[in-house]
Amino acid sequence: MTASLDTLLQAPILAGARVRAGTDADRIDGVRPRLVVEPRTAEETAALLAWASRERLTVVFRGGGTKLGWGRVPTAVDLLVSLRGLNRVLAHEHADLTATVEAGATLEEFNASLGRHRQWLPVDPAGDEATVGGAVATNDTGPLRHRYGTPRDLLIGVRLATADGRLVKAGGSVVKNVAGYDLGRLVSGSFGSLAALVGATFKLLPMPASSHTLSVTFHDKDRAAAAVTRLNDSQLEPTAMELQARRTATGAVAPAGREGPPYVLLVRFATSPAAAAAQVEQARALVGDGEAITGDGEAALWRRYQRRASASAGTVIRMSWLPAALAQVLALVEEVGRTEGSVELVARAGIGTGLLRIDGGVDWQIATVERLRARTETVAHVTIQDAPPEVKAKVDVWGSPGAEESVASAIKRALDPVGILNAGRGPV
Amino acid sequence: MPATLDARIVRELERISGGGSIVRERLELLTYECDALPHMRAEPALVVLPSSAAEIQAIVRICSREGVPFVARGHGTGLSGGALPVPGGVVIGLSRLNRVLDIDVPNRRVTVEPGVTNLEITRRVAPYGYYYAPDPSSQQVCSIGGNVAENSGGAHCLKYGFTTHHVLALDAVMPDGELVHLDSAMAGGTGPDLVGLIVGSEGTLAVVTRAVVRILRRPESVRTLLAAFDSISGAGAAVSDIIAAGIVPGAVEMMDALAIEAAEAAVHPGFPAADAVLIVELDGPEPEVAELFPLAEQICRRTGATSIEVATSDAHRARIWTGRKAAFAAMGRVSPNYYVQDGVVPRTKLPEVLGRVRQLEARCGLRIANVFHAGDGNLHPLICYDEKVPGQADRAVEAAGEILTYCVEAGGSITGEHGVGMDKREFMPKMFTDDDLDVMQRVREAIDPKRLCNPGKVFPTPRLCGEVPGPYREHPTEKAGLAERF
Repeated sequence: MTASLDTLLQAPILAGARVRAGTDADRIDGVRPRLVVEPRTAEETAALLAWASRERLTVVFRGGGTKLGWGRVPTAVDLLVSLRGLNRVLAHEHADLTATVEAGATLEEFNASLGRHRQWLPVDPAGDEATVGGAVATNDTGPLRHRYGTPRDLLIGVRLATADGRLVKAGGSVVKNVAGYDLGRLVSGSFGSLAALVGATFKLLPMPASSHTLSVTFHDKDRAAAAVTRLNDSQLEPTAMELQARRTATGAVAPAGREGPPYVLLVRFATSPAAAAAQVEQARALVGDGEAITGDGEAALWRRYQRRASASAGTVIRMSWLPAALAQVLALVEEVGRTEGSVELVARAGIGTGLLRIDGGVDWQIATVERLRARTETVAHVTIQDAPPEVKAKVDVWGSPGAEESVASAIKRALDPVGILNAGRGPV
Repeated sequence: MPATLDARIVRELERISGGGSIVRERLELLTYECDALPHMRAEPALVVLPSSAAEIQAIVRICSREGVPFVARGHGTGLSGGALPVPGGVVIGLSRLNRVLDIDVPNRRVTVEPGVTNLEITRRVAPYGYYYAPDPSSQQVCSIGGNVAENSGGAHCLKYGFTTHHVLALDAVMPDGELVHLDSAMAGGTGPDLVGLIVGSEGTLAVVTRAVVRILRRPESVRTLLAAFDSISGAGAAVSDIIAAGIVPGAVEMMDALAIEAAEAAVHPGFPAADAVLIVELDGPEPEVAELFPLAEQICRRTGATSIEVATSDAHRARIWTGRKAAFAAMGRVSPNYYVQDGVVPRTKLPEVLGRVRQLEARCGLRIANVFHAGDGNLHPLICYDEKVPGQADRAVEAAGEILTYCVEAGGSITGEHGVGMDKREFMPKMFTDDDLDVMQRVREAIDPKRLCNPGKVFPTPRLCGEVPGPYREHPTEKAGLAERF
């Protein structure tokens, strides 16, 4: 545990490994990892974990580093294990709509490869460097969640390196398979606290031949919420349905990077050409006139949207609500924003989940998190995605544990008995 | 393990919900000796029929304290022996927990007790224009509790996923008797997905007492065609080309000549005599279906369809589906007994694996019908046998095992939707290494350290005394002259 850096570096397991001392650039919430190791293979990753367990060295995994601020402030990080070296696409069975990839490949790299057969993995978290492993570990995606769910919904097989150094698999490489426990779902959203994800097999989708986005703005929150309800009740099948709302202490304002009304609804239809165009027009008839965008302009719009979603100086809160409670959520955002600073909601409006970016004094940020957690009649699962260390020091990132805590803890003890994985950052 | 339960424990179980909720008569227990995999049977000490989560909790607490194994049972339609009792153990029958507790259309979710049937959910929300997507062939009778345990699929999985994609939250009694609410769906998905772990764990991790499921808006348009082919490979090529064209059909089902013959004899769906028929269904917004359906039709023609029938009405579509959904039961028309298996291969390997099945058929002297979810490579060989002919039942089980081996060799799975249960646990090492299974077992032991919750299923553990694997053989008590079979 307290072996010196030199002693650690001389460990036989690190002979020939890509290893270096941690630097300030590697810090996680201000905590500098002692060593940064980049294994080349799944086998090396497993061996590294076995050694870490024996030596009781805490481990944090890093993919593209886009979500490294998520989680509690670590007590100490002995090993930052970068999985970027594991970045090969191992198989693309395009006729079967499946592909197997190593965890460190970025989604961009993976999708570029799948695109050769006009297929894709519709997972779109913010951050150009986001990796497959990071998306699964955090179960994070973006606007495409509306249609395609979270990464775990597309995951059909996993390869894991366990804390005791074994390489195991669960699931398989066929889209339908119920043999054995679904460990893929178990590790989805576990933030690397149960095992290292070294490889994953996904069910893919054909890349839509055409895409159109309708952008509609609203001055009034109830009208915005009613528009979402009308779309949800219709038989239209949008690919994404995003609602942005921004409020500052002085009043409602346009979302960051935009001008005009404070509520912006983006509805995307990606399907066959005639169907995409027809649905945009049907949507327009339901929710009011807006701008329909396609082609390069549409792609640029979503890229800008995604980049903004990942940038915030303050605290980024993740929360969910019942879809029909959207009007109450918008009222809550208005109520919170009226007090101080600025708040911006980025909502997966159709399914009832989203991010709330709050920017203002530290005490106000803390009070806002607590205030939202108290409003259980409107929002649930209020967790902190990203926040300055001063905020994390005062409120728990994950919130108070639910009834499932004992079950999750028992699984954690079984898979990581020494408790090295994710260095106390949670969620288990 | 006691063959019978201590009278003290029995009295305590009776007190929980009154004597009328306990089944102990040997004749009545017969119903519970097996599920829809009738060649595996075991007699429980008793069956308890609780009416509430609190009663289930009390039962599990007693079992946990006394070290008595317990098996939760829905409506007993499982095809892998997942609800097979542990001899001398307790069966917790969930049929009385059959209420639909909440229908929340604006939020597209329905809360049900585990004994509610799959189709009941769709029936209840249909007036609002919604439905529950997973549709196993047994959907009229199978329970949601069983669907959750097995992660049941159905014909529409390729596009809509399995039970696991449609369960939003669960209430479950854990093996130590703790009642927990698990909800991983609404959140951004933070924390390990315990709902996802329990769905498909075949009743080995918890007894589900309540489920919140997602309902979907009925698609605006549904179009269905029935195409006949003079070879399985022609039908297979049609499926591959449809997928390659970027079309994800709502369903693609295939039946071979023997399955067609049986379905015709049983329910007269009007299928043409052919070596294979394909049912292709596209659903979604009208403009999308209107654009893609003619494409799918063209592809069928190009790959050699000898006839194509397009459903012209809902009744017409229902008739086509009746032929498919009745296929299992219809086998009774062409064979005294049949054994249904459930393997998966990568879709592109279908022709190759079916070729091996044909050779096997010739070798083992049993007819094998094939019905499959062709879109996702999930095959259901139906092996015909006559239990009155000595040795045939054993040969059927052996042939089924061989087919599963072909599936694994082709890179597939030993089960796509029926579960491993008792039936296929010995095949697990074909798919998984000792380490793979050990890690799964560790998860299990973390949750059920006493191994009382549906023990003996899923994992190839050493057989417990008294379990009867393989085709029906005399129960030990029968052999000893202590019981007789009715």
